[in-house]
Amino acid sequence: MNEHIVKSYEDELNALTAECARMGGLTEAQVADSLEAVIRRDQALAEQVVARDERLDILQADIERKAIRLIALRQPMANDLRRTVAAMKIANNLERCGDLAKNIAKRTMVLAEAEPMAALTRSIERMGRLVSGRLKDVLDAYTASNLERALQVWSRDDEVDEHYNSLFRELLTYMMGDPRTITACAHLLFVAKNMERIGDHATNIAEIIHYEITGDEMMSVPRPKTDGLTV
Amino acid sequence: MPPPSRYTLPIWTALASAGGGALVIAALHMMHRLDIEAAMAGIILVLAAGALIGWGGASGIGLGEDPAAPGGADELSREPPYAALVDALPDPVLLVTGLEPDDPTGRRYVLANPAAREVLNLTSPSGLLVTAIRDPDVLEAVDEALFGQVAASALYDLGGTQERVLKAFAQPLGGEDGGLRTAVLVLRDETDIRRAERTRADFLANASHELRTPLASLSGFIETLRGHARSDEAAREKFLAIMQTQAERMSRLIDDLLSLSRIELNEHIAPAGEMDLALAIMDVLDSLGPLAREGRVTLTSDIPPVGWAVTTGDRDQLVQVVQNLVDNALKYTPPDGGIKVRLRTDLSAAEAVAPVMEDSSRLSLLTPDHGTTRYLVLQVTDSGPGIAREHLPRLTERFYRVEGQKSGARPGTGLGLAIVKHIINRHRGGLAVESVEGSGATFTAYVPMS
Repeated sequence: MNEHIVKSYEDELNALTAECARMGGLTEAQVADSLEAVIRRDQALAEQVVARDERLDILQADIERKAIRLIALRQPMANDLRRTVAAMKIANNLERCGDLAKNIAKRTMVLAEAEPMAALTRSIERMGRLVSGRLKDVLDAYTASNLERALQVWSRDDEVDEHYNSLFRELLTYMMGDPRTITACAHLLFVAKNMERIGDHATNIAEIIHYEITGDEMMSVPRPKTDGLTV
Repeated sequence: MPPPSRYTLPIWTALASAGGGALVIAALHMMHRLDIEAAMAGIILVLAAGALIGWGGASGIGLGEDPAAPGGADELSREPPYAALVDALPDPVLLVTGLEPDDPTGRRYVLANPAAREVLNLTSPSGLLVTAIRDPDVLEAVDEALFGQVAASALYDLGGTQERVLKAFAQPLGGEDGGLRTAVLVLRDETDIRRAERTRADFLANASHELRTPLASLSGFIETLRGHARSDEAAREKFLAIMQTQAERMSRLIDDLLSLSRIELNEHIAPAGEMDLALAIMDVLDSLGPLAREGRVTLTSDIPPVGWAVTTGDRDQLVQVVQNLVDNALKYTPPDGGIKVRLRTDLSAAEAVAPVMEDSSRLSLLTPDHGTTRYLVLQVTDSGPGIAREHLPRLTERFYRVEGQKSGARPGTGLGLAIVKHIINRHRGGLAVESVEGSGATFTAYVPMS
């Protein structure tokens, strides 16, 4: 970066948040594109997603380096320290989301060789929309420093789980009905699991936002959780 | 380097002294016809001309006085019409500045018209660009306009519950090398086009698949009637009755598919007009009364007085919501059962979906984007068999049916809840379901109060 530009402390902090937001945008695009690739069985798009993942890794390393530099040189206190740490943690979560999106994209390459399964792709699409929406909501909450929106994402994690469980059943039915679909269904199962984990990362980010804004951990409050068939 | 907020001022004052009114009006006129590219060119022309002459004026070359402000009134009084011009544009417009090509987080938006603030949900009129738009393709287009000095465009998927798609156009407005550069970003809503495309594809797929079943049965019976059942009086009567049921089902299916398509096409356009939800519920309960008595089902209601539950909404559509929900409840409630319709006012989104049954499985089928408004909450509780938890996520899917459940003598089209969901989404509301297996289900639909 441009070492010759002397930035103020506030500018540096803002730049960190901004870079996190930009990384968030890239992650959203990766997740959306990997889903699109699965739904449309688009190999070229899947390859693009895999190739682009490196950019997320670079951004994450960059944010981490800047955060550490800021801590070392500026010794931020209280609110500023929380902002710095939050940026670092969010970048970590986003990088994981990117990896999961890459994994989804890789499976497209296998799925594209199997027969299309229209009903299943609709269910995958629905769950994917839900997960992308949560990622978008939580990043909106982050850029706007809106605690209420972050908490909304946090308290609605069970929706993704319910979709995952429903999809799991649907896939089992397919596999039992026609063993030739087992390969494709097994891959779709992992796609669903990956999406569920992206949803979990969105929840993590909501917790980090809560910490950044209030300074309190969220662990003390029990999350409304649906028990049962989590597989 | 002047701060960005002051940077914009010369443009507006320049515009004023340039007397570029005609050009501005031309630009507005073109914008009105949604001819964005032409209008953008117009605006840029205005801005460029204004900037040249304005700066000339500032350095003493002079260009005569603005007729609206004789005697050279203070600059502030000349500014508003031009800020108002951008504010009045129906499409979102942002003015973006950037200093360093390799500092992508340094881009700021220094002006956002109300349309932009609404679409991007911005709270301040200026700030870091990434806090407003994160989409990498749009950011890249902005970069090309800022530093490559070429116009660029990108597709911008806004996401959200209403699924809006915009096309982003970035145009360079100049700036010095190594100094602050400016570009204008105009967004155009393309949701209509995309939605129409998808609806058409969905309609064809659904219609051909779902209409084939009753059609196959119809032609089967026609064959039988022309064949060996030709002279069998009793069989003919029976077959004709079945054929009539199938034909009625097909026509219901077509009605529902058409109304679903219509609703989907307008889903991103918020409804206008006031209506009283309490009145709508009374109407529906009156019309479904005979059917309930026929099935020996008690309909009870708990609704506020007329005038308390007023909302901005499409009356016909909200009536359809009530109708579909109560109709569904009727279908699954056994004889001597009861259905309760309840309408509450002034609740938050969290209060709206709070559980009303004990030990129930609950799921939100639709959640509004911004949960800070107060809602009217409609709840329909039946005393039917309930819905198993694993079926809940798929309830609003088209043609989805819970296996092993009979909906009685009047089979539905499988589109009722899908229609409810899309109508409620158009009204920026939410939908939730709650169920206890064996003792009933509650559907909760909530729409913002006006």
